[in-house]
Amino acid sequence: MAPALETRGLVKDFPVGLRGVKLRAVDHLDLTVPAGMIYGLLGPNGSGKSTTIKALLGLVAPSAGECRIFGQPSGEVGARREVGYLPEAPYFYRHLTGRELVGFYGRMCGLGRRELAGRVETVVAQVGMTAAADRAVETYSKGMLQRIGLAQALVHDPRLLILDEPTAGVDPVGSAAMADLIRSLRDAGKTVLLTSHLLGQMEALCDRVAILDRGRLVAEGTVAELAGGAGRHCLEVDRLDEPQLAELRAWLAARGRGLHGVTAAGRGLDAVFLERVGRGQVEGREP
Amino acid sequence: MGAPFSFLRLGLVAQNTLREAVRQRLLHLFVGLALALVLGARGLRDFNFGAPELKFIADCGFGAMTLFGSALTIAATAQLFFSEIENRTALTLLAKPVWRAEFLLGKLVGVALLTALFCALLTGLLAAVLWVREGELMALDPEGFRGGRAVSYAMVALGGWLQWLRLVVLAAFTLLVASFARTQVFAVVCGFGVLVICHLQHLAQEAYTRAGSGVGVALGGLVGGMFPNFQVLSLADSLAAADLPALGTWVRLTAYGLGWALVAGLLAVLSFRRREI
Repeated sequence: MAPALETRGLVKDFPVGLRGVKLRAVDHLDLTVPAGMIYGLLGPNGSGKSTTIKALLGLVAPSAGECRIFGQPSGEVGARREVGYLPEAPYFYRHLTGRELVGFYGRMCGLGRRELAGRVETVVAQVGMTAAADRAVETYSKGMLQRIGLAQALVHDPRLLILDEPTAGVDPVGSAAMADLIRSLRDAGKTVLLTSHLLGQMEALCDRVAILDRGRLVAEGTVAELAGGAGRHCLEVDRLDEPQLAELRAWLAARGRGLHGVTAAGRGLDAVFLERVGRGQVEGREP
Repeated sequence: MGAPFSFLRLGLVAQNTLREAVRQRLLHLFVGLALALVLGARGLRDFNFGAPELKFIADCGFGAMTLFGSALTIAATAQLFFSEIENRTALTLLAKPVWRAEFLLGKLVGVALLTALFCALLTGLLAAVLWVREGELMALDPEGFRGGRAVSYAMVALGGWLQWLRLVVLAAFTLLVASFARTQVFAVVCGFGVLVICHLQHLAQEAYTRAGSGVGVALGGLVGGMFPNFQVLSLADSLAAADLPALGTWVRLTAYGLGWALVAGLLAVLSFRRREI
């Protein structure tokens, strides 16, 4: 089976000024995203993540190399049938309601009227926007825009989802709901390519990650492979007093192991926030 | 697996473009000004330098259509195209299985529908103003209208149709510039440049031909070959039924206008094919 996404020797240069100077945004990138997983694309600003995504979607032409989506060259219009895309900070036609917007994109993807009505209801419900679906997009908050954006990406039931910073500007409740949704999509057999600056969230969500820097691939693997390279374990135990800690140190030392750090574990602000505000309060909130 | 070109998707883009366009404040301003000029034509009789009154009213109406219609067409085409690029709605749309040609030609058809509404509205209003005034003049001077109404309303309709053809050609040329331009202002300035050239190109051709030099003739031919002649798409200096052109002429003029719009539209598609979004 062909991988969901593949780039081979992908290069993208942008001309800068009039003297033929070029800025290399992506530099000989080889990337393979197997089907059925959440794949994270990490990197600082300007590392080439967005350009890579645009090349994958045929929105910019590669200077060299090739991109494939499920084996088809990504520049072909037909290849994009398999892709749902949520851009960073999405901006949609503001005069449409959420339902009309999702319907519009569904029709652009070739869904017939009868099929479309059912699909729109399904995806709008899936992203928790049923209550606000008949409001104009211009009245939506950032989080609602992200969710209706995800609905338009899902409307034609693509096998691959490309989500560029899907939780940017979204509050922790919305962010957690988005993460749950992304997991459920993976569980339903979809492939998700994800970019985010929230490393904690990426770590919790992604099956594999690739790290880009100045257009180059600098690391690739599972989170455990990349983050677990120090050969250490982290144990969470009930509170220990000083004599008990000393005893533990001695026990470990006798076996040639060191105790490198002891911290009092809290629940984390995220957990407190979600508990107080509630995950269930996502749908239809006012901006 | 390829995806064939779809007129349905093109139509959806056009419909969406029209919906967006009718919400623009600039459009309301131009339509308001044009309506005011047509309705106020009777009040401008003092500026009439001898032409019959009904002809003067018609000239005012068609002048309003040309002036505000051209400004509306250029501004709307550039704004509707660049708003898609700058607001990045094109990003989401073109990431779908959509041909760029469907997107661009959809934009053109959307603007063509907008200008059709504009021309239909103003032509209808102009015809109403002419009808009422002609009725008043008939009551005042029955002898002068012994043969019935003097104005051919089919001629007024043809005038509105020719105005629309011009605006569609103008929209296509503006879109052609926008397809490679980096800024909206550049597209608007070039759009007005095209408008001027298309109105005056017959004069340039005549001047070059009269000069007699080979270079002049070649230059004249070049301008004539690159830009349509808007003088072709003008009414004769009469509103009488006797001067109504034959059906064949209507068809030829329509083919001329739509042909130029199609050529400019296809060139815009070619230029937009490799544009980075």
